[in-house]
Parts: sequence; C-alpha cells; structure tokens
Amino acid sequence: MSWNISRGVLITCLVLFGLLVFVPLTGSKYLIDLSTEIMVYALFALSLNVIIGFSGNVSFGHAAYFAIGGYANAILLTTYGWPLIFAFPAAIILSALAAAFVAYFCTRLTDIYFAMLTLAFSMLVWAIAFKWRSVTGGDDGFVGVTVPSFIDGRVPFFYFTLIIVTASIIILWLICHSAFGQTLIAVRENLTRAGFIGVNTRMMRGIAFVIAGAFAGVAGAIFAMYNRGVYTESAFWAESAQVLIMTLLGGMYSFFGPAIGAATLYILERFANEYTEYWPTVLGLILLVIVLVLPEGLVGLAKRLKERLFLGGGQ
Amino acid sequence: MKSILRASVAAAFILAAGANTVISEVKIGVLYPIAGTGAVYGTPAMHGHNMAVDEVNAAGGIMGQKVVTFARDTKLNPAAAAAAAKELITKEDVDVLVGGLSSAVGLAISEVARQEGVVYIATIPKTIQMTTNKLHKYVFRTSSHTDFEGDAIAQIVKKLGKKSICDIQLDYAYGHDLAAGIEKGLARHAPNVKKLIDLRSKLGATDYNAQITQILGSGCEVVTSGLWGSHFVNFAQQAKPFGLFDRVTYVSGGEIASHEIAGKMGKDYPDNVISNTYELWYDHSFPGHKKFQADLAKRSGKKETAMWPVLAYIGVKFIEAAGNKAGSMDADKFAAALEGMTIKTPVGDRTIDPKTHQANTGQFWGPMVKKSGVDYRVMSPVTFYPAKLD
Amino acid sequence: MDMLLSSPSFAFIQVLNSISLGMNLFIIAAGLSLIFGVLRVINFAHGVFYMFGAYIMYSVTKEFHMNFFWGVIAAAIGLAVIAVLIERGLFQWLYDKEHLMQLLLTFAIVLIMGDLAKIIWGTDQLSVSYPESLSGATNLGFTFYPSYRLMLCIVGPLIFLGLWFLIEKTRWGRLTRAATQDMEMLAALGVNVPVIYVTIFLIGSALAGVGGSLAAPINSPTPGMDATIIVECFVIVIIGGLGSLWGSFVGALIYGFVFNFGSVIVPNWQDVFAFLLLMAVLLIRPWGLFGKPEREGH
Repeated sequence: MSWNISRGVLITCLVLFGLLVFVPLTGSKYLIDLSTEIMVYALFALSLNVIIGFSGNVSFGHAAYFAIGGYANAILLTTYGWPLIFAFPAAIILSALAAAFVAYFCTRLTDIYFAMLTLAFSMLVWAIAFKWRSVTGGDDGFVGVTVPSFIDGRVPFFYFTLIIVTASIIILWLICHSAFGQTLIAVRENLTRAGFIGVNTRMMRGIAFVIAGAFAGVAGAIFAMYNRGVYTESAFWAESAQVLIMTLLGGMYSFFGPAIGAATLYILERFANEYTEYWPTVLGLILLVIVLVLPEGLVGLAKRLKERLFLGGGQ
Repeated sequence: MKSILRASVAAAFILAAGANTVISEVKIGVLYPIAGTGAVYGTPAMHGHNMAVDEVNAAGGIMGQKVVTFARDTKLNPAAAAAAAKELITKEDVDVLVGGLSSAVGLAISEVARQEGVVYIATIPKTIQMTTNKLHKYVFRTSSHTDFEGDAIAQIVKKLGKKSICDIQLDYAYGHDLAAGIEKGLARHAPNVKKLIDLRSKLGATDYNAQITQILGSGCEVVTSGLWGSHFVNFAQQAKPFGLFDRVTYVSGGEIASHEIAGKMGKDYPDNVISNTYELWYDHSFPGHKKFQADLAKRSGKKETAMWPVLAYIGVKFIEAAGNKAGSMDADKFAAALEGMTIKTPVGDRTIDPKTHQANTGQFWGPMVKKSGVDYRVMSPVTFYPAKLD
Repeated sequence: MDMLLSSPSFAFIQVLNSISLGMNLFIIAAGLSLIFGVLRVINFAHGVFYMFGAYIMYSVTKEFHMNFFWGVIAAAIGLAVIAVLIERGLFQWLYDKEHLMQLLLTFAIVLIMGDLAKIIWGTDQLSVSYPESLSGATNLGFTFYPSYRLMLCIVGPLIFLGLWFLIEKTRWGRLTRAATQDMEMLAALGVNVPVIYVTIFLIGSALAGVGGSLAAPINSPTPGMDATIIVECFVIVIIGGLGSLWGSFVGALIYGFVFNFGSVIVPNWQDVFAFLLLMAVLLIRPWGLFGKPEREGH
C-alpha cells in the first residue's frame, strides 16, 4: 500500500474542493445544509479511522468525543459567553484530554476488550450529559447555542465549516503520512513485532486515540453551532455505531475512504427517509454487502474495478 | 474513486435543481418516529395525521388549495429530527412543521423553526421548556404539559382523601418535570398530603422489583407516577403478585388509561388505577367525537381505536383553521392567526394562549374498571379535567 | 437504604429479587457465552433473538390461546430454526474473517430482524399473562414472594446443570471443548466440525428464545427491547469471562445483586450500573472472573 498521494487522488480532492466552494452560488439552501452536514460527518469518520485504519483498534465509543467537543463549545459560547476564538480551541482541547484519559486505560487492552471499554467510557459520557442537567440541559438537550455573528448565517457558516474541515483533513493527512503514521501502520500490522523492534506500542496507540478524539471534537464543535444545539443522543452508542459503519463502508485501509463512506451513508439515509420507514433494513443490507462482498469498502471496490479495467482483468 | 465522487456530486446538484416548485398547494412537513422504539407512538400518530389531511382536502383544502404531507422519520434522535426539519423547509419548501414526540426532539425542531422562520406545532411533546424559557414566536403546542398533568394528579389525590403518597417516575426530563408538576399541584390542592419517598427508574428500565418493594415497605396509601407505555406494563405485571395494587391507589399520568394499554393488557390490567388519556374511543362526551371515531375505526380496520391519532389530527386541524383565517401561509401571518385561536375538536374546544402559545388541552381522568362483556378495562366514570391552573 | 438496614425481611426480599433477575438473565447470557466460547463470534443479534422469543410467547398464548408451556417450547424451536438458517446461510462464511466483520454481520441481523418483528407483530407494546398456577405469591413463612420469580430461581440453576452436564460429561461436550482448542486437529481426526458449530449456535440461540419467552410476562414485548438486554448480557459474560458457563452464572448473579441493591441505594445512577461494572471488570481483570487471558496480539 503506498501512502504517497497519487496524482489522481490529489486532483479529485482539488476538484471536490473547487466544487464545494461554489455550492453556495447555486442558491440552494438545501444543498448548502446537506454539504455542511456531510463535511462534519466526513471529518468525524476520518478521525475514527486514525484509530481503526492506522492503529488497528476498533472504538465503539467514538461519539463520546464528538459530544464532548459539541457540549464544551456550546457551553463555553453560550453559558460563559466566550468568544469563538477561545471556545472552539478549548472544546478541542477538552475532547483531546478526555480521549487521553480514556486512552490511558483502554490501550492496556486489545481487540474486543478495547472496543468494549471504549463503549463503557462513552456511555459514561452519555450518562453525565444526561444527568448533569444544570450544565448540559440533560436529556432536553442544550438548546439555543450562541453563534458568533460573523458565521451566523447559512452561507458564512458553510464557508467556516469548509475551511475548518479542509484544514483538519490536511493536518490529519500529514499526521497519518508522517513517520508517526507509518509506525502506527506497523503497529496495526503486527503489534508484537512492532513491540520487539522497540516501538512503545501502547503509547503509539494512545496518541492515535487522542488525535482521533481531538478531531472528533472539532466535528462535534462545528455540529453544535450548526444545529444551535447539542443533545445526549450525540454521545449514545448508536451514534458511535453510525460513524463506525460510515468508516467501514468507505474503506478503513484508505485515508479518504471514511469520508466517502460518510457521504454515501448520509445521503442514502436522508433519501431513504423520504421513501421508506424501513431504514434499519436498508442499513442492514448495506452491512451485509460490506461484510460479504466489500470488506475493504467502496474504496476497495473502486480499486478492484480499476484493476479490472486497466489491467485487463484476470482473463 | 474519482468516478464515484463525480457521480455523487452530480447527483447532489441534480437534486438541488428539483427543489423549486410552483406554490399551488399547502405543504405540511410532519415529523414522527416511525422506526424503532418510538414507532409505538409515531405510527398511530401518522394515521391521525393522514386522516385529518384527507378530511381537510375533502372539505376543499386550505384557502382552496390542496394540502400535501411530507413525512420524515425523526428516529427519536434530535439531530436527525433537526436535519429532517431543515430538509423539509429548504428542499420540500413546506409551509409549516407539525409533530414531535420526546422533549429533546420537540425542542430541536422548535430551534430549526426559530432559525428558519417557519411555524412548528408540537402535537405530543410535553416538556414545559417549550412554552416557557424556550418559547419563540413560531412554536405552538397542542399537547398537554407536565404542570397540567401534575395538577390533575394532585386534585385526584385530594379527592381520594388519602394522607400519604409515594412518587415513582422515570429518571429523565418528563419524569422530573411531572414530579415537579405534582408537587406544585399538591401545594395548591392538598398541602397536607405527605410524600414518603421519591423513587426513580431509568428510562427503558425493565425491572422494578427494587422500587415495588420500597413502596410496600414505606406504607404509603397512594402511588403517584408517570410510568408510560411498556414501563407501566412491566411495573404492573411485576407489582401484582406482590399485592401492591390491593394496598395502594395508583394515580398516574403518562396516558396509561388509553385503550392501547388497556386493550393490550386485557384482564392483566391491575386494580385501583386512576389515570389519564387524551381520548377514549368509547367516550362521546364531546360533539363530533362519534364521527371522528367511526372514521378512524374504518381507516384502521379496528372498532377499538388508539389514542395517539387524535393528537396528530388536532395539529392538522389547527393548521387548517389558521391557514384559512390568515388567508396566507406566510409564517408571521400564520403565527398571528394561531395566537388566541379556538377550534372545535372531537375531544373538546381548544384555545391557544396568545402569550404562552400553549393550547388548553385537557385530559380525561378516571378509574379503570372491569366491564361485563369485554375482557379489557374501561374508564368509568370519565371526568374531563380542563387545562387550567388556579 | 434505611429500609435495608432496619428490616431484615426487606433485605431478604431484595436478595430474592437479585437472584430471580440474575437467573432470568443467566438463561440468555449463557447462550451468548456458549456461542462465543466455541464459535468465537460475539453475537449482537442475541438480543433480537430474545425479543423474538418474547414475541413468540405472545403469539402462542394470546393469539392462539395455548398454554404457557407451549409458548416456551415454540420459542425454543422457533429460535433454533432461525439460528440454523443464519448459521448456514451467513455465519459459516465468516469464521476466518476478522472479529469486526462478524460483529457487523450480527449487527445487520439485528437491524433486519428488528424490522421483521415490526412487520409481524406491529409496534404496540404487548402484554403476556402469567401462567395461571404461577400468577400469585408463595408463602415463604415470614413473607410472600411472587411465585413466578421463584420459578425463575429454580429454572435458572436447572438450565445451568443441564448445560454443565452436556458440556462436561458427554462425548459431544468433550468434542465441543476440543473444538474451542484446536478446530483443525479435530477436523483432521474426522470429526464433523460444522455440525458442532451449528449445534452450538442452535442451542445458544434457543436459550435466548427460552429466556425471552420466560421474561415475557414481566417484560412486555415491545420494539427496541433487544437493545437493553444485549447490553446486560454483554456485561454479564464479560464479568464472568467470555465462553465460561460458570462465568455467566456467577456474572448474572453479580449483575442481579448490583442492579437491585444499587437501585435501592443509589437510584439516580441506575442508567450506568451496567457500564460501571463493565468498566471495573475490564480494568481489573479483562478476561473476566472465570475466563483465561487471551494471547497477546491478534
């Protein structure tokens, strides 16, 4: 697997970015909203992939950091009246700190035990949001987030999201393709061997977890302002499952895969909602396809198709 | 990958293009939970909604225009509900939003309505916040709320002439709000009644033995509660063998007197329960109910109809009346028309308070008793508690 | 809290509450643990199997007006059939795949079967009656206690004994245990491993069905009831150690006690008992009380 960005991927990214820049010019509020939502989920899924695709662990509780970022940003902006320039970074730092705390315990474990412990911690975050009514609004949610006037509007907020998400993705890309990222892949491929050659595997997995948590926090902080509200459901396991499925649908062994998965699943879900009340079945069938046909996700499928086309297939 | 990206971008643009249509009909965006746990309420609510829309159209529509519904599943998730509400407004260009179930979903939709300047009529959520500190000019509520419900419970406790109560609630917003509503009501109507214990169960709890044995141990004469739906069914089934319902009177909000509970529990429904409901298929106290019920029965293919449809039905009827009165679906004119508006419904007149945007939605309360010839319990006598706090 | 200290009979009733809750959960958790022990698959769909068990009980007793006993049998058979279909149709292709893919597959089953239940039984909260003979309370001398829950206190250990005998004392059980150790060796010796797999999956799933049918009178069949139970079962099998029969028995009892006494002492934290317990076990002894530490790596 090569981690140098290929020309094709780079061009696709630039074209996509270019298209996004012009979305507000279409004048469609719906398209602007949908793009904003997809960008948030794409970042959320990409952040999860730092844990799954790069360090080889599966987190069942990634929504916790999305929620912490959201709540922290909302509370600092609204309850404490902080300006965005302080509230936003503080929310990210809080998500990262929470992730560091959880990582300290979780990285002792691997495989299903790791996943279960991340789940337990995330449900604790959910419970705190649910119970701490005076601060978080409890299960009524934290409604009516103050949004700074310069991004208080559909179009300015879209550009704000575009800038932050793009910057985050670039940073994530650089991290994942640095020496650190390569070491993480070594850890994923063989935990024991990486340990033998002197890599502090636990520390590496921990750092990956914190990075993932921080960027989930970024996505959550944006989402809180976008919705003008944060709700306990953001921390619930179902949200963690959703982002996990997005990641796997796109393809966990590719950097951009999760973003594609997020966009695909989100759009599918929104459309399904217009036509059927059986979204769970649709999602279940999508999962069956991933498991039985597309274990490497949509990106894997695209690669296979490309090989067929350009290399003349196996005939 | 390139091709997939291109295709999805292209698809998105095509979708956006379809968004603009000519305004020749009144569009209602309706938001109830249809999948998962919330479907228990969302599915029957949709029946009531669709029936009302059909009636309105048969009577010539709103301002002579046909009414069309765009339905979305809230999945009982506020963020999903908010996204769906936005989509209804920006893509389907709906004139008004209606629906909601849980407090959080109601508040999330309300927030979208505020931002987008579209009227939202909440038909089921009971959170007190919606018409108090989160009130804005575009949100209206036609369901009851926890202060009305708590007040009725207090009045019943007073009538029973009992001296001590235990309170058991679900440990979430509705439970807390109802407990507070009951306390306010007791202070008003029966200040001498003593509350012996406050018990809490988690939302979705399936085991109530710890609470049941505590109630029995405390020796209280009345249990006040708001355990709804399957929570009540489980609590009752577990409490009966302990003899709880022989020793206390169980006064409960949460609409457990509705026929969907009484009918399904059949002969298992416990003794000494006094509870509430928005509607009873067999009670024709108010004019127009008989026809409403007959139509609903025809629609659902069952003689014994559920309670939830009427809530959604009333929501649509308010839209009809307000649209016709305002002569426009413009949000500000429409909202102004709703303020202070009174309509006739199958369960009594409803007036929306111009200040709080809350409808005076009363409920039927009464003991659930056995009736010869049927294997389910019915409310008798039925007493209508109008929504007023004094 | 005060009542616990001041009234011995109150405290004793709480003990009975804990045991009967634990025993009902044990029946379900044992199936989950059994499946994991042999197939190494964590079956998220176990909760939805339980839900089907409860719904089948409803249909048998309320729609077909048959005896409660037949409800239990029908639930066991119904889930056994479903299990065979799922194992042969889907699971068998995934034994050599990663855990994650297996989990996703089971999650897909959860989603699809959840919708299926909605189509078959609708969305109402239903209700199942106690069997006539167990609907009252039994006099224990110093207090009365619901007969149905006493029955659960007896059935749980009986199922435990049955499973224990099957696994520890029969030839089939020995082969099964061998399969958990070295499946390839077993296959080389001419043992039909796929038959062992499908049988285990069948028994485990039938236990979920039985557990659901027995829970139905105290746990009304309703959409979404699968989510609660699966969490409780996970906690139990992780406390006890994945794959250990003793573990799920003891784990279920521990959960029963923590939930009941917790509900009396710190009622406001009922939401998180399960997760706090899970956390404690994973931090202190991740392989559980009766499990063995997993090998390093994966």
